[in-house]
Amino acid sequence: MSATSSDTLPYGAPRTSDHPLLELDQVSRVYGEEVEVYALRDVSLRIFPGDYMSIVGPSGSGKSTMLGLLGVLDLPTSGTISIAGQDVSTLDDPTRSKLRGNSIGFVFQQFHLIPHLTALGNVETALLYRELRPRDRRERAYQALDRFGLAERADHRPVQMSGGEQQRVALARAIVTDPLVILADEPTGALDSVNAANVLEIFKGLESPERAVVMVTHDQAVAGTARRKVSMRDGRIVADERRLEAPR
Amino acid sequence: MNEVRDLVGVAWAGLKARKVRTLLILLGPVIGVAAMVSAVGLTESAKGALQAQLSQLGTNLIIAQAGGTFGSQNPTFPSNAVQRVENVSTVTSAAATTNLSGVISLPIQGASSYYQAFPVPVRAADDNLPSVLDVPLLDGRWLDTSDSQLHLRSVVLGSGIARQYGYLPGEVRTILLNGTNFGVVGVLGPVALDPDLDNAAFVTQWAAKHVLGTNGLPNQLYIRAVPGTTQGTANVIPTAINLGGPDQVSTKIPSDVLQAAAQANRTLQEVALLAGLLALTVGGIGIANVMSISVIQRSAEIGIRRAVGHSRSKIGGQFLLESLFVGVLGGVIGAVLGVGVVYVVSAFAGWVVVIAYGDIPIWMGLALFVSVAAGLYPSIKAARLEPLETLRLG
Repeated sequence: MSATSSDTLPYGAPRTSDHPLLELDQVSRVYGEEVEVYALRDVSLRIFPGDYMSIVGPSGSGKSTMLGLLGVLDLPTSGTISIAGQDVSTLDDPTRSKLRGNSIGFVFQQFHLIPHLTALGNVETALLYRELRPRDRRERAYQALDRFGLAERADHRPVQMSGGEQQRVALARAIVTDPLVILADEPTGALDSVNAANVLEIFKGLESPERAVVMVTHDQAVAGTARRKVSMRDGRIVADERRLEAPR
Repeated sequence: MNEVRDLVGVAWAGLKARKVRTLLILLGPVIGVAAMVSAVGLTESAKGALQAQLSQLGTNLIIAQAGGTFGSQNPTFPSNAVQRVENVSTVTSAAATTNLSGVISLPIQGASSYYQAFPVPVRAADDNLPSVLDVPLLDGRWLDTSDSQLHLRSVVLGSGIARQYGYLPGEVRTILLNGTNFGVVGVLGPVALDPDLDNAAFVTQWAAKHVLGTNGLPNQLYIRAVPGTTQGTANVIPTAINLGGPDQVSTKIPSDVLQAAAQANRTLQEVALLAGLLALTVGGIGIANVMSISVIQRSAEIGIRRAVGHSRSKIGGQFLLESLFVGVLGGVIGAVLGVGVVYVVSAFAGWVVVIAYGDIPIWMGLALFVSVAAGLYPSIKAARLEPLETLRLG
């Protein structure tokens, strides 16, 4: 089954729009100049509102490259990437950065919190340069922390928190901007099983008809929680499967 | 505007998070600015003290010395040299002294061998010498006409000699001049413009002639000129004294030496300024170095910020602003420190504090410029960092 035909299948997540949030069209990403290495070759993928998907594949299959491109941290060598219909390669850096900040919420395996900032400060980082009054910004960040039960941890620095707590701070940072797409890179990879289950539970709670949740993982258990599963190998999408109900 | 405020907050938090590092890179601009402010302040204050002294002493004193014809010993002026000098229109007052070279002065009998080996210069002096010198008496009175008229054997001691003789204020004391007792009637205050006078004993022209048996001809004149005409007056004094005769007269303006001392400090000031500039430059290199390392250490932070939507220019601005803060903060602390140094040193040295506050913004601006220039390269490096390389995805 090809990536382009998958969204025409009668099953899948409840779809509120036929316009994809994120669209990769014939995207290739080549590294190196003298010796060209194709990390991604002619990949097309459309991510719709309401999608709750995983991207799986072994090491070297192009997952990371895919993640960088989906998050607009990187640009394709050929092909186009569009966010909400807008071709990102035509944008200058400030506009593209703004689009990324507004549209995408990242969650990383290593949490990637800024060590010298408090939990609140880390969440606030995602709200900077948005013409927000400091008080409003703090309030929104605090609410995001509170949503994941971290209100009491607002003044703690990352080193004072457990891995699970740090990942919840990272989740708060990802959702505080109310992004179109939540892009997670092995979100449970650095966590023990209890915290991993906890975080996965939060991810399920993030599902919404307006938003897409994308988890890049090589953990089949994590991938199994998703309703849509994109499998990659050697820089190509080899499968794009949907199921009605994710196993609980 | 709000973006600038956010940027300021981010940069400030970055500096605050690494206090030791921030303190260390602050040292460069702090030392540089402090060195420059205190260098100028200290030399100006020292000069200020000299100039205060100068204005107190006046720059219009001329000392004329008899040079004599070639080969003559103990050259002298004509007896009416003072009147001749006072004929010069720009001379306001003049007083003569005579070096009595053969006279031995003894504070007490029994120490004659020492004072014969190291004789105290004895001078005959005019009644108006202290007023021409503008020097007060430390004790007692100066020689006056009554001493001559009443044939009193009076002597006034220079301040240095008075100390050497152990003379106590108000003490009734006689000293021996060529074996004759003279009564000490006063002590002349220190003469900054001619310290030789501090180590002399003064007698009247009458006593010099009739008691000590000298010819009584003056060989040194102290002359006050109308302010502003000092050099010109000094130039015509020789002609006024010898009226075209063969006798030689040399003149000097003692305040010139002090003025030269004030000038000499400019060199010191330039050296100190250069040292400050050097400290600032080295400090700048330090900032560039530390910031460069910081960009590498904080590459993850940069990647995170890029991921949450901060643009390259915001990242660059963040690091540049950190450098700018270092420059501003270093400049302010350095200026305060420099001013403090000037105040403390001046208090100990007894100087009048002179600080060119108008110059301080220049040094602070220089510190700012150096800091921002030093932060430029690391900031560009930070802005160009690829977030994908720093976030280690997958």
